[in-house]
Amino acid sequence: MPKVTPTSLNDRPYKLLLLSSDKSEEATLNCNLSNTLGFNYSLLSIEALDKLKQFELQSLCNAVLLDLRIDHQVALDSIRYLAENKGPIALICLCQNHSQLHEFKDIMYLIDDYILAESLTNGELPTRITHAIRRCRKEHELLTEQNLLKALLDNIPDAVYFKDTKSRFTKVNRAMADSYGHSEPDRIIGKSDFDLFTKEHAQPAYDDEQKIISTGDPLIGKIEKETLANGDVKWVTTTKLPLRDKHGTIIGTMGISRSITDLKEAQEALSRETALLKTILDNALAGIYVKDRDSRYIVINERHAKNLDAKCAKDCIGKTLKDFYSPEDAERSMAFDEQIMSSGKGVENVIDERPTRDGDSRWQLTSKVPLFDDNGDCVGMVGITQDITQQKKNELQLKSTIQTLEETKLQLIEAEKLKTVGRLAAGIAHEVKNPLSVVLLGSEYLLSKEQDNPEVKELLNDMRQAALKANDVVFELLDYSSPHEMSLVPTDINDTIEHALTMMRHNLRKAHVTLIDERGKDLPPVFIDGSKIDQVFINLILNAISVMPDGGELIVRTYTKRMREAGSNVSSEMTEHFCIGDTIVVVEIIDSGNGIEGNHQDKVFDPFFSTKTTGEGTGLGLSVTRSIVDMHRGMITLTNRKDKTGACAQILFPTADKA
Amino acid sequence: MNENQKTEPTRILIIDDEAPFTRMVKLNMQNAGNYVVETLNESPQARIVAKQFKPDIILLDVVMPEADGGDVATMLRESAATKEIPIIFVSAMVSRNEAHKGLYQSGGEYFLAKPVSSDALIDAINQVLL
Repeated sequence: MPKVTPTSLNDRPYKLLLLSSDKSEEATLNCNLSNTLGFNYSLLSIEALDKLKQFELQSLCNAVLLDLRIDHQVALDSIRYLAENKGPIALICLCQNHSQLHEFKDIMYLIDDYILAESLTNGELPTRITHAIRRCRKEHELLTEQNLLKALLDNIPDAVYFKDTKSRFTKVNRAMADSYGHSEPDRIIGKSDFDLFTKEHAQPAYDDEQKIISTGDPLIGKIEKETLANGDVKWVTTTKLPLRDKHGTIIGTMGISRSITDLKEAQEALSRETALLKTILDNALAGIYVKDRDSRYIVINERHAKNLDAKCAKDCIGKTLKDFYSPEDAERSMAFDEQIMSSGKGVENVIDERPTRDGDSRWQLTSKVPLFDDNGDCVGMVGITQDITQQKKNELQLKSTIQTLEETKLQLIEAEKLKTVGRLAAGIAHEVKNPLSVVLLGSEYLLSKEQDNPEVKELLNDMRQAALKANDVVFELLDYSSPHEMSLVPTDINDTIEHALTMMRHNLRKAHVTLIDERGKDLPPVFIDGSKIDQVFINLILNAISVMPDGGELIVRTYTKRMREAGSNVSSEMTEHFCIGDTIVVVEIIDSGNGIEGNHQDKVFDPFFSTKTTGEGTGLGLSVTRSIVDMHRGMITLTNRKDKTGACAQILFPTADKA
Repeated sequence: MNENQKTEPTRILIIDDEAPFTRMVKLNMQNAGNYVVETLNESPQARIVAKQFKPDIILLDVVMPEADGGDVATMLRESAATKEIPIIFVSAMVSRNEAHKGLYQSGGEYFLAKPVSSDALIDAINQVLL
């Protein structure tokens, strides 16, 4: 606004437009205006308004001076046109007298000022023009402001209201009226919150407003729950301010409320979802977790925290497996995670075994999927892990039970077989031994009679030997099926071997087999039943002789050995029999025959397995041998020798302290 | 005793259902020395035959069809005339260890394993009768 000083009515020259049919009028005006000190102006004179219609009036002038002494109708039209289009331009009419002015009384309100011809000369004109221009500008400004405010209030979706000191509405905007179901804002005027809402909302709102009135402190951004009389619930964020008059006295309050019902509902739906998710996470029977791109836990449920042996789920957030597993296990697991995230491919039902701190094993069944953001970049992974240790243990136990059952079944089959053999043996013993007795006694009788014929004597001797041999076979059968009772005595195994060798010496010599005695000295005693182990050695030596029909060598070796460690050269059978640190007495009976054929290796200890032709062996020898060794908690193996052809029977006995 | 043996032959009754066996034992024993051997293959007649024959010793089979060794022994021991006669059970149902022992005792009875050689038989008889 231009500053007005007594010496200057206007800083900028006013542009004046004179509309008059009297050409002398311009001169008259100039004469009157130019004499006024401090009034700057320019004057443009026209005869008819039509010429101006093509121009923007406001850029052309600040005021129009309309000479009413022109044609009446032209004057009327001009006033109407100007009123409509002038904006902030002042319309000042020049008239002859009051009666002329009276002719325009119906549209006087469109005129900003007038001046009588008689007053033109008394110096009043510049002041009138100045005031009219200023007033018009002011009015225009106010009108503009008012329009803006109205537009704002009418169009803003937020509820805006003004209240008096008793919290009664004095003005509300359309949005406010609409939101409470009133078609016209004016309908709400004079009412209070108690008329619109339940007391539950109205009372605190009223209290807030009274506090603002008494203190002058505004209330900003308060979230309020509004329960309408019809039961609808709305959520709003409200700002309330004190309303002051021009003296600063508080005359009420004004407020603006924005509906956040949708937001609130979304928020509540989200909280419900979150709560539901949390319930699922907390009650799921599997560990569920989300990890970021660096394998740090960002979501984890209690179950999985338990899987990790962590105190609680909260404790795991931000941590990695390095905080819970051994470095090797953590590295292995995290490499797996990394593979999932970098490949973008998940895995399903992977079973993982991991040792626990107490040395036990823990099995987990895990599925993992990578997690992508909106751009399709992998930002982490989601995993679900189930502890299946118990199932796995049950499974292992079941497997072992099944294996035991299988073994028992085999043992039962073998036992059944033995029972059959036993029954057969008893029958055979009776049925065979009587005829054998006859043959034996018969051949003896004939031998005693036949002193002279050497051929007949030899024949009779062979018959006698054959009968004795047949008797041996029957005994083998009986041995095999007879109940195993043992009397274990601490014995030097070399003595037992010596005994067996004494019995076999004749057989060895006859078969041209050289004995190579490599028995060790000072062996620790072993707990054995001498007569049974005797049978073991006799069986093995007889076997050795039988595989060397053209003679050969028989090595008998004994030594002790300490069970050091379970390794590739120690069979699982051996670790079943002996413990690390045990002292073992080893007996080896080695022949120089052709060795065992590869496909016979597994069968040599089976009952009735024999490579001898029918009649030469029962196939029970090695089977009996093994069961005797087993009864002594020993172990027997029959392998091919490595240095040359031949087989090596190795028998391991636990020493006396162990047995 | 040796003097006695030469003059008075030892009387042996052998009871076994196998006739070839009893025949063979008889042949061998008679061939071996101063023995009188009677054989019996029908075990139920044991008491009658024993009463008549009056053996010094009886060789008795165990497994027989009509009356087995146990029945026969009981039968003989129930009769005053035969109850003092020593019995050697000759059985096929012995183990290798028992067979190796030659004559052995078990449960107060003498046993000998089949098949038996004539030497073993004579040894056993001598042991029991001494």
